[in-house]
Amino acid sequence: MSNPQLALVMLGAFIFIILLGFPIAFTLMAMGVMFGFYAYFVPDQAFFDNRVFYLLSQNTFSIMNNDVLTAVPLFLFMGYMIERSNILDRLFYSLQVALRAIPGSMAVAALITCALFATATGIVGAVVTLMGLLAFPAMLKAGYDQKLSSGVICAGGTLGILIPPSIMLIVYGATSAVSVVKLYAAAIVPGFLLAGLYVVYVITRVAINPKLAPKLPKEETDVPWLKVVVLLLQAFFPLAVLIMSVLGAILFGLATPSEAAAIGALGAMVLAIAYRAFTWGRLKEAVFLTARTSAMVCWLFVGSWTFSSIFSYLGGEGLIKDFVLSMNLNTLTFLLLSQLIIFLLGWPLEWSEIIIIFVPIFLPLLSHFNVDPMFFGVLVALNLQTSFLTPPMAMSAYYLKGIAPQFVLLWTIFKGCFPFLGMVFVTMFLVYVFPQLVYWLPNVFYGN
Amino acid sequence: MLQNFLLMIDRFSMAVGHAFAWCILILTLGTSYEVFMRYVLNNPTSWAFDMSYILYGGLFIMSGAYALSRNAHVRGDVLFRLLRPRVQAGIELVLYFIFFYPGVTALIIAGYGYAHDSFGYREVSVNSPVGVPIWQLKALIPLAGLMLFIQGIAQVIRCVLCIRDGYWPRQLHDVEELESVLQHEHEKHSAAAGAP
Repeated sequence: MSNPQLALVMLGAFIFIILLGFPIAFTLMAMGVMFGFYAYFVPDQAFFDNRVFYLLSQNTFSIMNNDVLTAVPLFLFMGYMIERSNILDRLFYSLQVALRAIPGSMAVAALITCALFATATGIVGAVVTLMGLLAFPAMLKAGYDQKLSSGVICAGGTLGILIPPSIMLIVYGATSAVSVVKLYAAAIVPGFLLAGLYVVYVITRVAINPKLAPKLPKEETDVPWLKVVVLLLQAFFPLAVLIMSVLGAILFGLATPSEAAAIGALGAMVLAIAYRAFTWGRLKEAVFLTARTSAMVCWLFVGSWTFSSIFSYLGGEGLIKDFVLSMNLNTLTFLLLSQLIIFLLGWPLEWSEIIIIFVPIFLPLLSHFNVDPMFFGVLVALNLQTSFLTPPMAMSAYYLKGIAPQFVLLWTIFKGCFPFLGMVFVTMFLVYVFPQLVYWLPNVFYGN
Repeated sequence: MLQNFLLMIDRFSMAVGHAFAWCILILTLGTSYEVFMRYVLNNPTSWAFDMSYILYGGLFIMSGAYALSRNAHVRGDVLFRLLRPRVQAGIELVLYFIFFYPGVTALIIAGYGYAHDSFGYREVSVNSPVGVPIWQLKALIPLAGLMLFIQGIAQVIRCVLCIRDGYWPRQLHDVEELESVLQHEHEKHSAAAGAP
């Protein structure tokens, strides 16, 4: 068997093993070592002199001293701390009374709360679950449509992996060697555009059909304006300021992403202290969960770098390149095809696996089609919103179903998510047609 | 007896994972201190950059076994979760020998040689003139592999027990993600409410 054929066997076997459900990081590492041993085999050489062993240690160490990935545990820690700072109910209540004049005010408030909280924590599951317990029953009680209420919470919570400072973009930066700072600048406008479209969609639906979201009884929202301002100052502004200062420090080049993340984590602890939510037990929880989730993400990198360096050594990368080039695609059809594949991968897999393992397959092809890796990254980040919202593995819908009242059916939640999926595709289309949405902010900050 | 042995391994991985988890607090405070020194006092430290990746690297590599004991490593389990526990355990048992041990064993042996060379000349970082040692970070690679190897033994024995008994044996629990805590509470709550 020739080497490129062997690479194809390697990829096929890997996809098969993934479907069997074995932890992916170790599968990648073992397959890298086994195929690499064969590829680097030299007769009469001592067993452990095979080059693959040095490669494995070298790859592991290059993940350990990777200064981009250093930001991952810091942002995770910031997220776990904010999650435990008792800010969410205040935030939701303050926005709800502040927005009372808008049609569907509670849904809009839930959407903005989700988006803001998810941006600060970056942990989708926690946002959807917490809001599912807090805002979802409140909306149903007020007579809001079940589908609309579910869609708002699932879609809003999922925004956290997109809007900077998000961990997903750091991971993409580490995979593609695009600067995280530029990725952040590039993703801000599309992120806000998507969030804005969500809000516009909710308001329009409710304006057309007010039955979807009945107005709340006056006595529930009748809070004097001064009180509203105080409520906002207590809950909305501290979190917004924390996010903006982390993001601002990165964009203005005052701090590297990991330094800004450390400041953010410190700020999150201060916030928890200010809300009297800082306990030894909660700190321990946040610290231990950070270690576990960091291990999950970074070990995946260890496995994937070993796997992919052997894969390209065997010529697998070249084979895929030749195959794709022989399809005579142009830039548009290439983008459509690659995004379709990523969309489909999002059904069974999570964003971390897709970005760390599968996106690198597309990256070497980008230059042939004149696609900027930064632009591609923003499209991927938008696209991966769908991986949380499309059945059969719509994680956001499952989190909501897990804590929703019995009478809310899973299918109802899915149906509630569909219009928001539509908005994701509209945003991707707009980004493709108007690339300025991506390039404007990076150009403002860093020139061409 | 066997159960205690398995929990002992869990506890060992957890203890090491928890100990290294505290790196995140030092990392947060240390990096914040560096930013403060640079912008407020205009006097950047010479060690902050090396400190940051040493703490980050140690944190994640030594939490690998802890994550394994809590089943926190990602897996594509769309089909897997639909299978009966016995079938799950059978598949896992085979895959542990084909796709876990070769990689992890290679990591221990290769990592040992790698760290040994680095220790041989007391390798220091080239990032600053202070010469922060980094051989100890490399030495963590074979240790992390060894921890995974040991935790893997516990997981393999659990597979065998599950094939024998038809259900997964108990694992040690500590902290859980907020969503799973809340989802679990909700389940218990609605089960209690549903009972006559």
